[in-house]
Amino acid sequence: MKRTSVVPSLLLVTALFATTATLWSTTVIPMPVERLAQISSHVLRGRAVESWSAWNQQHGLIYTYTRFEVQQTLKGQAPATIVVKQLGGTVNGTTQHVSGLHYWRSGEEAVLFLRQDERLDGTLVVTGLIQGNFMITRTPTGEALVSNGVHGASSYQVSGSQATHVSEFQGNHMTLRELESLVAKSTGKAVQQ
Amino acid sequence: MTRTKLFARLAPIALTAIALIMARPAASFTPQVNVSNTGIAFVNHWNLATIHYTINPTLAPDMVGTQAQAKTAIQNAFNTWTAAPNTALSVAEDADSAIIDPNAVPAGTNLICFVCTNGLNFNNTDGTLAVTITTSDASGVISQANMFFNPNLTGSLAAPGACFTVGITSNFCPNGFDFTQDLQTVAVHEAGHFFGLDHSAVARAIMFPFAPQILQTLSWDDVAGISFLYPKNIPDVPIGTISGTVRLSSNGVFAAHVFANSTTNSDLYTTFGFANLRKSPVGTLSLPDGTYTLQGLPVDTYQVIAEPLDGPVTANNVDWGLNFRLAVPTNFTTRWH
Repeated sequence: MKRTSVVPSLLLVTALFATTATLWSTTVIPMPVERLAQISSHVLRGRAVESWSAWNQQHGLIYTYTRFEVQQTLKGQAPATIVVKQLGGTVNGTTQHVSGLHYWRSGEEAVLFLRQDERLDGTLVVTGLIQGNFMITRTPTGEALVSNGVHGASSYQVSGSQATHVSEFQGNHMTLRELESLVAKSTGKAVQQ
Repeated sequence: MTRTKLFARLAPIALTAIALIMARPAASFTPQVNVSNTGIAFVNHWNLATIHYTINPTLAPDMVGTQAQAKTAIQNAFNTWTAAPNTALSVAEDADSAIIDPNAVPAGTNLICFVCTNGLNFNNTDGTLAVTITTSDASGVISQANMFFNPNLTGSLAAPGACFTVGITSNFCPNGFDFTQDLQTVAVHEAGHFFGLDHSAVARAIMFPFAPQILQTLSWDDVAGISFLYPKNIPDVPIGTISGTVRLSSNGVFAAHVFANSTTNSDLYTTFGFANLRKSPVGTLSLPDGTYTLQGLPVDTYQVIAEPLDGPVTANNVDWGLNFRLAVPTNFTTRWH
């Protein structure tokens, strides 16, 4: 895990994150945005432009690859387009299903928290399997909302044996600006406008 | 608001009817489906009389418990589903496996593994606990299902992780700052995927995407799901069906969460000797034309409610929109009938 820089006060808050509920999908432990940002090599906003599925070399697992046009980089350096790799997909009538994973359709927008695939094949994978995918929707007034479908994680500041509840994280309901702000606080990087 | 009275359906379901149902996901609960290019949806299900699975009993370093306890937890998880009322489902455990590579699982082998990693992108920092991968053909018939538990959940002081506990009530992980997670709880949920169920938007269901650390039993919604996929010819408990259409300005609404909520204190499952089932609403998601069918409802009086998938479960948590290649609308308010 790399962390470029962290606001000192935030470091205390994020010193220990405790979760109060398990998100099981495909089962994951819910994480706050700050933590997702810390453990991701890249955080970016992008638009899906194409996707395809293929067996891996061993013909054991099907992956779905989605190419994103990068619109904004919140952490890390990214080229104009990136490819995100996910477990599952359909090839020649055979489907490998992984519940809970969202496979993007062309045109969908998302803020993606990503890290390198374990094989270092040049692709990126979503941090936290599903948690690092904040789909963007827009209200009738044009406000951009984001959601990764995760709720119920709390963050705690821990000192010795005492844990103090700091905040409730709601990945379900957040504006894009709020998400950008949380990432910026975590990385110490100013929000790009 | 009107209430719908259900009456018993004691007659066995004809095989032809089952075949028709399986070709169209008109189920109470949310099944995994394969949708053809022409929009025909096929519910994922096994066609085997007995589904075999094998366990690699090797434990991950941070698991708390013994191999025997871990195997028991997995067996209990499968048995929870096979013992569900109105359900004809059989599983059998084969000899232990030593496979540790997801890519090396032979066709037809259904592996439960605590130490498999290759290709799964498990990482000890991102909180992923388990993944179940089902392989099915274009008609939805499942040929393989593998359940992989993350073998490295250990966190750090700065970022606590988790550990699986099996067969004990310990609240402590090897690393004291990690959080315990009951293995059987995760296994019951993953076994639902193994059998072809997707997530449910019913909060009390084991297939709900969010859960406490320990929850090992099924709800009415889970029973409706599994008994729809694998129905007994003669149900143990009398059940019925509610169907209809969700409309907004006369147009059918896709992917509305429709659920039937009992308005009485009746618990027919308990009456018929099936204890340890949580009484819950029974839900489904509407089809592209707005129609829905709630099946497997114990005879009772119900209120039917339609709501948008706007939380706590959203389109991010279920694959319904993806499967039908349609956007999930949330521009309507909850309605009671």
